[in-house]
Amino acid sequence: MRVCDLFDLLPHILNGLTLGLLFALIALGFMLIVGLMEQINLAHGSLFALGAYFAMQLMGPRPPFPADLAKAWLALPLGWRYAATLILAPAAVGVVGIAIEFCMRRTYGKDPLYGLLLTFGAAMVIEEMIRLTWGTRDYVLQVPQGVSGGFLFQDLIWSTYRFYAAGIAVAIIGLVWLLIEKTSFGATVKAGAHDSEIVRALGINLTRLRLLVFVFGTMLAAIAGIIVAPIWGIRPHMGVDAVIPAFLVIVLGGVGSFWGAVIAGLLVGLSVGLTGAYASEWSLLSMYVLLVGVVTLRARGLWGKKSVLEA
Amino acid sequence: MKKPEISRRGVLKGSLMASALAGTGSFFGPWQENQAWAQGAAKPIKLGLTCDASGQYGNSGQDDLRGIQMAVDEVNAKGGVLGRKISWITADTETTPATGSRVAERFITREDCTILIGALHSGVANAITQVANKYGVIYLNTNSSAPSEAGENCSRVKFVWDGNGTNFSKASVKNAVDSIGKNWMLLTNDYVWGHTTSAATKAQVEGAGGKIIDNLLVPQNTRDFTAYLLKIQQAKPDVVATAIGGDDIKALREQVAQLKLDGKPAWINNQQDWPDVWGAPDSLFGVFGTTWYHKLALPGVAEFVKKWQATNKEGSIPVPGNVSYNGYMSTRELLKAIERAGSTNNVKIIKELENLKVSATDRMQHFDAYMDPVTHQLQQTIYLARRNTKPTDNTDHYELISWTEPKAAADTDATAKCKLIPYEQVPSVDS
Repeated sequence: MRVCDLFDLLPHILNGLTLGLLFALIALGFMLIVGLMEQINLAHGSLFALGAYFAMQLMGPRPPFPADLAKAWLALPLGWRYAATLILAPAAVGVVGIAIEFCMRRTYGKDPLYGLLLTFGAAMVIEEMIRLTWGTRDYVLQVPQGVSGGFLFQDLIWSTYRFYAAGIAVAIIGLVWLLIEKTSFGATVKAGAHDSEIVRALGINLTRLRLLVFVFGTMLAAIAGIIVAPIWGIRPHMGVDAVIPAFLVIVLGGVGSFWGAVIAGLLVGLSVGLTGAYASEWSLLSMYVLLVGVVTLRARGLWGKKSVLEA
Repeated sequence: MKKPEISRRGVLKGSLMASALAGTGSFFGPWQENQAWAQGAAKPIKLGLTCDASGQYGNSGQDDLRGIQMAVDEVNAKGGVLGRKISWITADTETTPATGSRVAERFITREDCTILIGALHSGVANAITQVANKYGVIYLNTNSSAPSEAGENCSRVKFVWDGNGTNFSKASVKNAVDSIGKNWMLLTNDYVWGHTTSAATKAQVEGAGGKIIDNLLVPQNTRDFTAYLLKIQQAKPDVVATAIGGDDIKALREQVAQLKLDGKPAWINNQQDWPDVWGAPDSLFGVFGTTWYHKLALPGVAEFVKKWQATNKEGSIPVPGNVSYNGYMSTRELLKAIERAGSTNNVKIIKELENLKVSATDRMQHFDAYMDPVTHQLQQTIYLARRNTKPTDNTDHYELISWTEPKAAADTDATAKCKLIPYEQVPSVDS
């Protein structure tokens, strides 16, 4: 490969990696609920969209507060409001997550398809509620000046927000890993996923544990929605655009594998980014081709647990 | 007790089941029906409104529906057509050809619809056309602007009401090649409308002495355009001509605006549909086409806007745009044609529509429009616009920069491609 070709390729590799981090962020909450609760949360995409809508409402000219509080809120600098929104909107979505988890309790211990059907119904309800509340029009999420616009690098204009979003994705992936791997809460959750009977016998409140994991997963979906919204735009069916790659990433990475999901996200990002530049008509298809290729050669995904049949 | 475990197989099974469930959504509804048949009255003429309510053109499809309903309500308020009321039924065609085909089949065979109206996506429009052809049912393609709709996919029973890619290219390309530069790059949505529109642009560019240096195909439902924008910057064209529609163009606009790439290179976007613009006007960039604008300083426009607003108070878009306008105009002209024909026989109505001429005043456009009898596409005034930097109110997003006569922008390429079957081969339909 000629040096000038390599220089042409580098921006696309960088683009693929940043895109991959966003895919990993989108899949994170989905992966947690599948991996730790063994439940397929098909409402993940709708919760992702709900996070974006709540954030848009908080950042917009008519925040959902009483008049005095709204006035004080709007007087805050945009950056402060944005930082607070990153906490408030996922918290509000977390409340929706609590309601869904309450409904899901009767499906625990049964065929996972019951949970899948329930969350599929929840997804449709949430999407229609979005349409009823905010209508079908598109919205734009305001972001602080500091992270918007572009910058010049290597004679190309790059999106500042794109790198900010990738940075946030790295930070959240790191924090989630620390929480699961380095805290007693994480250890309890993993133990609960591995053998719920023993965990309950040890006196741990499994019901509360499941609630916490589910709400945490829904809040991660909401954060992903807020981060991705300025790039994709906000519209009622934006959740569908998220849930399909999330599904693909966790199957590709291996169901339940944290680092599998992260690496799979990066691979999907690279394949979409590179094909977008060099075989553009393949850019969306490439992620499915990648999935078929990996699953054909390694049925459990890249980092999935070995099944007894393969032993 | 065996603990139910989730496995890769389970996840895949789940995804398949979810897809199947999602797919059944349109089969079971939602259906919306407007009955206008009082006991003892003449049987109403029933229209099947094939409008998207979801998918890439869901928003536009509903705006199309608003215009169609308004025309029907107006006619019903005056007593209907030939002494008969007009009723309608609609269902979501989901921006999916297979669904469009299924809905059209159901409307004709089970709901007794004798006329179908509505389209945004050219693939859906073509699928509906196949069904309409089979039964001889008249079909109005209100808003799909693929040149193929009046070219290779034309039909004796179909009439196309929107300006198409060739019309817009004719109105914009030559001037841009002369004044901006000869090196052009195409950004093309990877489906019929994108391909045929870009092919029309390519022909115009090369005819004007320009050169296409690359054509990037963009799959439908692309949300991230960074790879394309980097590629465009690396290629350094003078002009980028886009044929990107629906939700994809909204995402592209956001990303171009974020990078402030709207100055260099120059951008020529094909038609921008009003529902795609509403909600994110700040991201409008480059020069783009339209067939109508609610701030046109022409007789009747202000009254039409007021009437539309009165009937659409709850809508998410406060003023009519080109999509709703096309829905309204096509339905109104169809109902007038039935009245003129004095019959609901399909061939008699087709003959009336083939000879259609509408004055500029009636069209609320700058020039008289006419139906091309060879291609069944309405040739009309083509407007070019750009983002309005001095809006008079919060709906004033366009600055119109030119309007081209129908003859100058006429799609003459389609004439050779369109082969209409003789009247006697059209199955007879009467409402």
